[in-house]
Amino acid sequence: MCLLACGGGDDASAPAGPPIRFLHTFGAEETELFNAIVVERRLTVESSLVPFARGQQVISAILAGGTDCPDLMRIDATWLPGLRTAGYLAPVPADLAARDWTPEAKGLVASAWRSNDQLFAVPQTVDGLVVVRDSSRPAPASPAITDVVAAARATKTPSSPYPLGVRVDGYWFVPWLRAEGGELRPTGIGDVGAVVALEKFAALYGDVASPPPPSGTEAPDELRRWNAHELAYWITGPWQLGALRDRDRLAITPLAHAPRGGQVLVVPTCARAPAEGWRLAAELTDTPALARFAAAFATVPTRESALASSPPLVRALYEALKSAEPLPRAVNTPLLFDDLNPALAAAVARDATPTEAIDGVRHGWHRLTRGEGHP
Amino acid sequence: MRAAASLRWRVLLLLALTAVVPTVIVGVLAISRARADVESEVERGALAHIRALGAALDGTLQDARRTVELAAATWADQPDGEREAQLLLKRLRRNVPIVSALSILDADGTLKYGDAVPDGVDAGSHSFGGYIGDVRRTNGRTIVNLVVQARGRTGELMGVFLATLDLGFVRDVVAAARLGRGARVVVVDGTGVPVATSDGRPLTETSLAGKDPAVDRALASSIEGTLATGGWVSAYRNLSSYQSSRGVRWAILHQQPEADAYALARRTTRDTLLVGGIALALALALGALVATLLTRPLEALARRADAIAAGGADDGPPIRGPGEIGVLGQRIDEMAKRVAERTELQQALARGDRLASVGVMSAQVAHEINNPLTTVLGYAKLLQEDKPEGHPDRAGLELIASEAERMKSIVGSLLEYARAPRQSEQQMKPVELASPETCQPAAVVRHVATLLGPQLKKGRTTLVTDMASDAAVTIDAHALQQVLVNLVQNALQAMSDGGTITIASSPAPGAVATTITVADTGPGIPAQHRTKVFDPFFTTKDAGVGTGLGLAVSKHLVATAGGSIEVGDGPNGTGAEFRLVIPNAGTV
Repeated sequence: MCLLACGGGDDASAPAGPPIRFLHTFGAEETELFNAIVVERRLTVESSLVPFARGQQVISAILAGGTDCPDLMRIDATWLPGLRTAGYLAPVPADLAARDWTPEAKGLVASAWRSNDQLFAVPQTVDGLVVVRDSSRPAPASPAITDVVAAARATKTPSSPYPLGVRVDGYWFVPWLRAEGGELRPTGIGDVGAVVALEKFAALYGDVASPPPPSGTEAPDELRRWNAHELAYWITGPWQLGALRDRDRLAITPLAHAPRGGQVLVVPTCARAPAEGWRLAAELTDTPALARFAAAFATVPTRESALASSPPLVRALYEALKSAEPLPRAVNTPLLFDDLNPALAAAVARDATPTEAIDGVRHGWHRLTRGEGHP
Repeated sequence: MRAAASLRWRVLLLLALTAVVPTVIVGVLAISRARADVESEVERGALAHIRALGAALDGTLQDARRTVELAAATWADQPDGEREAQLLLKRLRRNVPIVSALSILDADGTLKYGDAVPDGVDAGSHSFGGYIGDVRRTNGRTIVNLVVQARGRTGELMGVFLATLDLGFVRDVVAAARLGRGARVVVVDGTGVPVATSDGRPLTETSLAGKDPAVDRALASSIEGTLATGGWVSAYRNLSSYQSSRGVRWAILHQQPEADAYALARRTTRDTLLVGGIALALALALGALVATLLTRPLEALARRADAIAAGGADDGPPIRGPGEIGVLGQRIDEMAKRVAERTELQQALARGDRLASVGVMSAQVAHEINNPLTTVLGYAKLLQEDKPEGHPDRAGLELIASEAERMKSIVGSLLEYARAPRQSEQQMKPVELASPETCQPAAVVRHVATLLGPQLKKGRTTLVTDMASDAAVTIDAHALQQVLVNLVQNALQAMSDGGTITIASSPAPGAVATTITVADTGPGIPAQHRTKVFDPFFTTKDAGVGTGLGLAVSKHLVATAGGSIEVGDGPNGTGAEFRLVIPNAGTV
C-alpha cells in the first residue's frame, strides 16, 4: 500500500543527497517561487510552513526538543531576541556576514548581529508599514498620521465613504501609539498616551476606515477594496503588494513612527546539517534570488546589489521604510500582540472603552513580565 | 512500368501525407486530450469526493469549536461564578456530543473547573484564537485537544477552555464513504499520523510523512491537489478547521491504484485506438484502391507513351479514364495514331526512295543484263533446235532456256518497278480511254478481262465484274491495269484448283474516291503475312514461281496515285480480298 510503502519522492530527476530541512514563513505564492529556485539550484529541500501567528512558539518548542530540528529557518525578525537568548541559534559564516547588506537589513538583525564577534542571522527581506495610494491621489502633506488621515478624509465620497485602509492589529496601532509617546514594551505602553492613541485609532473605524471584517479575512478584504478603488490611502506593507494586479498605479510615501521589521534566515544549533542550512541561506540571499523575489512580490531585498536591480516600486518601498523604526528588540515583543490585538478589536467594536481595553492589555503584559502562565 | 509503379506509390504517399498523417496526428492528440480529460475528471471526482467528506468533517469540528468559543466568551464576561461555570460545562457536554472531556483554566494556566488537564497540553495564553492539537490514542479511542481562549469584553484573557474531542465521527464519516475499486480515504493529522482510514485497518502512531509523497504534499502549503506516483493516484485536501499545535493543517486523502483509477481512461483509449486503427486501415485500403483506379489509366498512358517513344505502333485498346484523364487518353490515342501515320508515311517515303534507287539501279542492271540474256536465250534455243529429240544435251538446253526466260521475267519486273514512279514518263499506253492521269476503272477492268482470258480459262477460273461506280479515278490506266493484272494473276496462282475472281467497284464514303475490290475464293492470306505482302521480294510462292515484286509494285503505283491498298478476308470470310481506294478525278 502506498501509504505505508511508498518512497518519499516522486521526482526521479530530483538531485540526490539528504534533504535540507527548512521551516519557513513564505506565503503560498512565495513558496512556489522558492520551490522553483530550489529546483533550479539542484537543491534537495524538505520544507515546512510555519504559521506566522504561532511561529515563535512552534519553533521554540521544536528547538527545545532538540531532536527534530530543521537545518534552516526563515523567521520574523521579532522572534530573534527570544531564540538568540535561549541559545538556539548558530553563528553566521563569515562569507555570508560580509555580503553587501543594506543598512536597514543590518539594523533588522542588529540584536543578533554581533555577540562576542559572532553573527546569528542573515536578513532576507525588509518590511514595515508605508502609505500606499493611487498615483492619481495627492500625497499626504507629511508622513504624520494626522496628515495621512486628513488626506484620506478629503477623498471621502458617498460612494467611497471609507477611503483609508488600516487593519485592526497591534502592528498597525504602533504608529498611533508612538505618536502619543507610547511604545510596544510590556512596561512602556504608557497609560494616558496609550489610551489616547487607542481612542484616535478606534475613532478611525466608521469615520475614514471601514468597520473591520470578520477575523481572518482582513487581507483579502483589503485587496478587494483596493482593486475596487474603494481605498484611496492604504497603510500596509510590501507583503500585500505582491498580489496586486496593477502595481503601476501605486505611489508610496512613508508613515511617521511606522514599525519596520523583516524576515531573516537562521540556522539552529541543533541542525543536523548546518553547513547545508547556510548553503541554502546563501542561495536564498544571493543577488539573483533576492531580485526575483523583489520583482515577483515587491519584497524589499536586503542587499545593495539586489536593490539596484529591483523595480522602481521596490526602491520606493525601500526609501519609505528608511524612516520607519524597528520594534523593541525584546524577548516578549511578539507575545505582546496576543493581548493587544483582542483589546484593539474590543475597543473598535465599542465593546470596551479605550481605557478598559488598555487596562486589559496592561494586565496581560504584566502577566508576561511576571513570567506567569504557560510559556 | 517502374515509372507507373512509382506514380502509384507517390499517390499513396501523397494520400498518406495529406490524409493519413494528419488524421493520425489529430487522432493521437485527440486521444491524448480525451485521456487527459478523463484522467482529469477522475482526479476531479476524487477531489470532489474528499471535498464533500472534508466539508462534513470541517462542519462537525467547526460546530464544536464555535460552540466552545461562544461558551468561552460567555464565561469570560463573568468568570467568577462557579455554579454558572459548572452549568456551562454541563450544557457543553450535552450539546457537543464529540466532547469527551472539558476543562476551564484561568489565565495563569491553573485548572479552575472540569476534568483534569491531560499531560503535554499547551494551553498557553499566547495562542490567540486557539488551535487543535495533534491526534492521540487513548483506550482505543482517537482523540484530540481543542484549546480556546476565553477573552472578556475588553479583550483581556480570562482563561482557557480545553476540550478533548473524540474523533470517532471522523472514522464514521470516512468508513461510510462510497469508494471506487481499490480506493481508500485516509485522514492524517498535522504530523502525518493516520486519524482514520476507510478500509478499517488498525491505526498506528507511525507518521506517514516522508513515506507517502501525497501526505507530504498535503501537509505542505497546498490547499488541495492531486498526485500520481508509485502506481497510485492521490487527491489530497487540507482540513481548514483542523490545525495542529505546529500550525500544520490536517489532511484528507483519496488514494486509488492507478490501474483502477484510470481504468475507464485506458479502456477508452484502447477502444479508440482499435476503432481508429481499423478506420485507418480501411481508409488506407480505400486509398490504395483509389490510387490504383486513378493511376491505372495513367499507367496505360505511360505504356502507350513508352511504346510511342520506342517507335511502336498505336495498337492496344482505347485508353479510358475519368474526366481529364480520359480526355488525355483520347488525345494520346489520337497522337499515337498521328505518330503512327507519320511514321508509316516516313517509312513509306524512305521505302519509296529506297525502291526508287533500287529501281534506277535495277533498270541499269536490267538493261545491261537483258541483252546478254537475250543472247543466252537465243543461243540456248538454237542449240536446242539443233539437237534431235532424245539427245542427252536437250534437257540441259531446255533448263538453260527456261531459266533464262525466268531471268528475263525478273528483269522485266524490275524494269516495270523502276518505271512506275515516273508516271509522267510513261510511254506505254495500251488504252486511250481517259486523260493520262485519269481513267475509267470499268474500261480498264474490261481490258484486263480480255487480256487474262486465256489464263483464266486455263486455270478454270471465272472472272466476275461488278462495276457499280462509273467515276473516273486519278490513276494512269496503264498503272491500274498493271495493278489489276498482278492481283488477278496472284489470285489465279492461289487457286490451283480453280475458283472465282470478282472485281467490283463502288463509290467510297463521301463520294470522293472509288473503291475497287479484287476478291478470290482461294485459301486467303494468313494474318501474319498481311503486313508483309506489300514488301518487295516477299513471296509465299514456290521458288521460281514469283518474284516478290508484284504487290510491292502494285502498292507503289496506287500510293503514287494518292490511293491506298489493303488486304483482308474475302466477303464470306473465305479467300482474300484486295481493296483499293483511289481518289476520283477532280477531287485531288
